[in-house]
Amino acid sequence: MNLKRRLLMSAVAIAMVGALPSFAAAADTIAIITPSPDNPFFKAEADGAAAKAKELGYEVMVMVHDDDANKQSELFDSAIAAGVKAIILDNAGADASVAAVQKAKDAGIPSFLIDREITSTGVAVSQIVSNNYQGAQLGAEEFVKLMGEKGEFAELLGKESDTNAGIRSKGYHDVIDQYPDLKMVAQQTANWSQTEAYTVMESMLQANPGIMGVISGNDTMAMGAYAALEAAGRKDVIVVGFDGSNDVRDSILAGGIKATVLQPAYQQAQLAVSQADQFLKTGSTGVDEKQLMDCVLVNGDNASKLETFALAQ
Amino acid sequence: MTKAPVLLRLRNGIGHLLDIPMRPMHATAGLLLIMLSLSACKIVKTETVTTEEGQATAGLDKIAQLAEDSFAAKLLPLIDTTALDIAALRSAIAADLDGAGAKHGNRGAGQGAAWTFAVKGEGVVVSANLTSRARKAELDTDGDGSADLTLLLGPVIAGTALRDVAPFYDFGSFKDQIEFAQLARALNDKASPALVLPEGDLTGKRLSFKGALALKSAKDAFVVTAVNVAVLP
Repeated sequence: MNLKRRLLMSAVAIAMVGALPSFAAAADTIAIITPSPDNPFFKAEADGAAAKAKELGYEVMVMVHDDDANKQSELFDSAIAAGVKAIILDNAGADASVAAVQKAKDAGIPSFLIDREITSTGVAVSQIVSNNYQGAQLGAEEFVKLMGEKGEFAELLGKESDTNAGIRSKGYHDVIDQYPDLKMVAQQTANWSQTEAYTVMESMLQANPGIMGVISGNDTMAMGAYAALEAAGRKDVIVVGFDGSNDVRDSILAGGIKATVLQPAYQQAQLAVSQADQFLKTGSTGVDEKQLMDCVLVNGDNASKLETFALAQ
Repeated sequence: MTKAPVLLRLRNGIGHLLDIPMRPMHATAGLLLIMLSLSACKIVKTETVTTEEGQATAGLDKIAQLAEDSFAAKLLPLIDTTALDIAALRSAIAADLDGAGAKHGNRGAGQGAAWTFAVKGEGVVVSANLTSRARKAELDTDGDGSADLTLLLGPVIAGTALRDVAPFYDFGSFKDQIEFAQLARALNDKASPALVLPEGDLTGKRLSFKGALALKSAKDAFVVTAVNVAVLP
């Protein structure tokens, strides 16, 4: 399954590379490399970048690294060989990606990073980083308020290998731990998975029937947890997620999950392309390499304005 | 949740120290193996262990030190000398937020980041929540009888206004967003003890304040993180 998909992706990449020379003369190309679009967040990111690039007159070469640093390295080779003018990247690992970005830089191709940061500066031209820590603090502040600053709660952690799982948990605790009457009675990973969150929540609830709230590292786990709570007749439990998915938006509007935190994926990707365009035209983006992009709290007040990781004004 | 790798310090037969980092999952098996193969060695528990957790603590110490060194020496004087009266700020941003920001404020890291201003002013308390851990007071600063500004009074202080008001804290010079956020928290924690309020209801009392205010748009509500607050007679 995985191999088949990899082969398919490679074939797509090759097909695109192969097709390039025919239109390379007509327009410059920007490569867009992200994790799998199976997660709608990354799809929104790739779509946002592609839409902006086309708007600015570029061709696009969209590729997926599936959070595999080796594959990412191969994709960089393909992009370099294709003679793209710039690379937009949501990277496959803070340390492992430095070499790939450096490789492009050495070939004279600037990279513009979105969502996740890498551990070196001066290699990419821009790093537009989702401020997950700030977002987690926003979610936690809302959670604290909803809980009335007291009660037993549980935390669902993301995949341990993902930097953002740790950042979000730290951001949550930075706020929540300042309230001594809020007591964490259970903390467990559900690996970003909805089905896993369902079973984890079931057992947490059995062991701790006094739970009044659940704070979750992302929206898919929040959905799983809420389903388990609903099945157990505990719709009174306050659930807060993270990402700003349409599923959680719908749950908020239906009075289920109480809040989530939006990372403006679409807007962020568009900003990266604009900076790439300016850099290609003027030799400078005019802004610092490392830029934090704030997240936005989504609750009953503004959920109706949320669509595919963007809030309508 | 960070799992610190187990580190074994062994002293071999000729007195050399051997540090052996091990993954926790393999630690037990590894320990058995080492005990079998190096049965003549003495196992000494280490006092200074360089682990991921250790490095995080070192990072935190560095940030705590930075807050310690700069809060009273640089940040408070900056707010003192550049604080704009709240009425002056209100009219400046009504005309042009970006212009007012460039002239009087500081922009946090990144495009779309808020302009943060040092501000001072006075107002009458319309309502206050002093039972929360994150106390706040709603003030009327323009004399129309309704609240137009929220004053954050700790001890739990949210947000990054105190960090972002200062041009000398630059995101690019921090390792990552966690360190940068830790600085904001450390500065908030330093501001908190100075926010002493009298016992009893504040409603109707006149307060003077000084602090920092972040605005993303001219329509944003005024939420001031206070570094100084006093009840006026």
